[in-house]
Amino acid sequence: MENIVAANLRSRPTRTIISILAVAVGVILMLIIGGITSGTLNDYLDRTVAVGADFLLKPSGSSVLYAFTSATLPAKLADKLMEAPGVGVVAPVLSMFSASDFMLIFGVDLATYNRLPGRLRITSGRESLEGYEVIVDELYAKSRRVAPGDKLKILNHDFTISGVCRTGAVVRIFVPIKTLQELNGTPDKATIMFIKADPRWDVSQVHESLQSRYSQLSILRTTDSSLLLADTPMPGLKEFRFTVVFVSMLLSFMVILLAMYTTIFERTREIGILKSIGASRGFIIGMIIKESAMICILGVALGTAMSFAVREIIVGVFPTLQVHLTARELVVSCALGLLGGALGALYPAYKASKMDPVTALSYE
Amino acid sequence: MENGSQRIIMETRDLSKVFRSGAIEVHALRDVNLVVREGDFLAVMGPSGCGKSTLLHLLGGLMQPTKGEIRIEGINISKLSDRERTEVRRQKVGFIFQRFNLLPTLTALGNIELAKKIHGNGYLNAYGIDEIIAMLGIRDRLSFRPAELSGGEQQRVAIARALINQPSIILADEPTGNLDSRNSQQVLRLMRDLNEKLGQTVVIITHDPEAASLAKRIVHMRDGQIFERTPLAFEPEFDGLF
Repeated sequence: MENIVAANLRSRPTRTIISILAVAVGVILMLIIGGITSGTLNDYLDRTVAVGADFLLKPSGSSVLYAFTSATLPAKLADKLMEAPGVGVVAPVLSMFSASDFMLIFGVDLATYNRLPGRLRITSGRESLEGYEVIVDELYAKSRRVAPGDKLKILNHDFTISGVCRTGAVVRIFVPIKTLQELNGTPDKATIMFIKADPRWDVSQVHESLQSRYSQLSILRTTDSSLLLADTPMPGLKEFRFTVVFVSMLLSFMVILLAMYTTIFERTREIGILKSIGASRGFIIGMIIKESAMICILGVALGTAMSFAVREIIVGVFPTLQVHLTARELVVSCALGLLGGALGALYPAYKASKMDPVTALSYE
Repeated sequence: MENGSQRIIMETRDLSKVFRSGAIEVHALRDVNLVVREGDFLAVMGPSGCGKSTLLHLLGGLMQPTKGEIRIEGINISKLSDRERTEVRRQKVGFIFQRFNLLPTLTALGNIELAKKIHGNGYLNAYGIDEIIAMLGIRDRLSFRPAELSGGEQQRVAIARALINQPSIILADEPTGNLDSRNSQQVLRLMRDLNEKLGQTVVIITHDPEAASLAKRIVHMRDGQIFERTPLAFEPEFDGLF
């Protein structure tokens, strides 16, 4: 039997296609922005784990990411930490956000930092980080088409690339900590410290010992990025994600509401015909809901497929950006896209079902 | 074949309808009493604005009367809720309109099947689609959409749609009003055949004396009232009602 829902959608192809595209855009927004957020965060945390430190020391109550934006730890704390039993390496780091590169820059003492298992493995150039020298990772070098010896503008200062390290380091740009402290106006300050336990000591014991000595500081085990994430309050992230999801859902809702609302006015006479041949209110509501569901399903499917394409484009254009499209986010985005559409169809469906058949039949 | 003992399909008692617009009241129908028996073919004639269409809409349960009763096979639909009236309409009434009122997005067959779907598949004694299609001579037009059919063909599809659930009564509102004389005659012949061969009860609203002449009886309306009936040779007994 010919399907009235499909026939109605086919009869207004432009509006159907635009509605499908709008729902798809909502899904793409949800997936890509969510994907960039979680991708960047997870990538960063994974690379933090890859440093190979046993502990990450940061001011208590601060987030891993948030901590990187302020320098409150005295760098000399590193020397005191080294005196604690079982501590093998302490590498203080001053981090700053480079707006021009849209990424974090680490100020490190290369000799100390390289005592950590995740040391910078230089693939070209020199293993040197003094004055206004900078080490970048391979992905950065490739994406910016730079090589050792080239100049790089960082924080409005000219740096010379001394070396290129293997990708996978905690950040993509390293400068000397002293230089960064000067530029930041925070001499002798650090934002975090990577701590490696002496291999002869039990890591848990060292952790307990450090926690009892420095109870006002947060000393996180770095064995698992998800543990780091769980221990890390990220101000605004939840709200940001909620806003993106809300706006995307609102988009689906508004598009379907508008499309269906216009549809029922255009089809007033048809609704009158249906009522005259005995269609119940339930039948009419069902018909409108099914139409919107069909648009939403197609929109969600298109949006999901396009999200993968958009991810490839983003990663191609911005190789340093990570976009994680996880199964969970796919399911949530699809569900919210459908929900937004279903909610948008309710009012037009209700209005259609309440139409007076005689008035509807005389509608020109 | 007709006589006074035949079952009453539709009956109105003191049926009145007043339309209100602010302080203005328009009495579209005033105390209309009418009986339609099984197998009847009744034509309602009258000038524009006399209340014919209002009467038809009330008979089909598309609107509520201001006063009075409408009974379809004994069910007083004037007391029913919108949902219940829809159910009665679905089970017992078939509409044919002047402007055919086919759904433009569906093919001819789609329009007929949709009516069957709305009705549900379990209704007893439903005509088969094939028989109706054959009877109306629209088999080769089934795959066409209304815009691709002539007026006569559209009206035949509309008749098929109205018949698909074997309604107790067909209500036709100026069914030939938008047709040329050739197609009008075809449609009228079909309606007469439906009545004579299948015993289908029909109420037709028309301006057209030729269309009305096919009816077994005619009532004339003016100013919302029935003022005259035309008894025909085979007119049944009306129990004092028109």
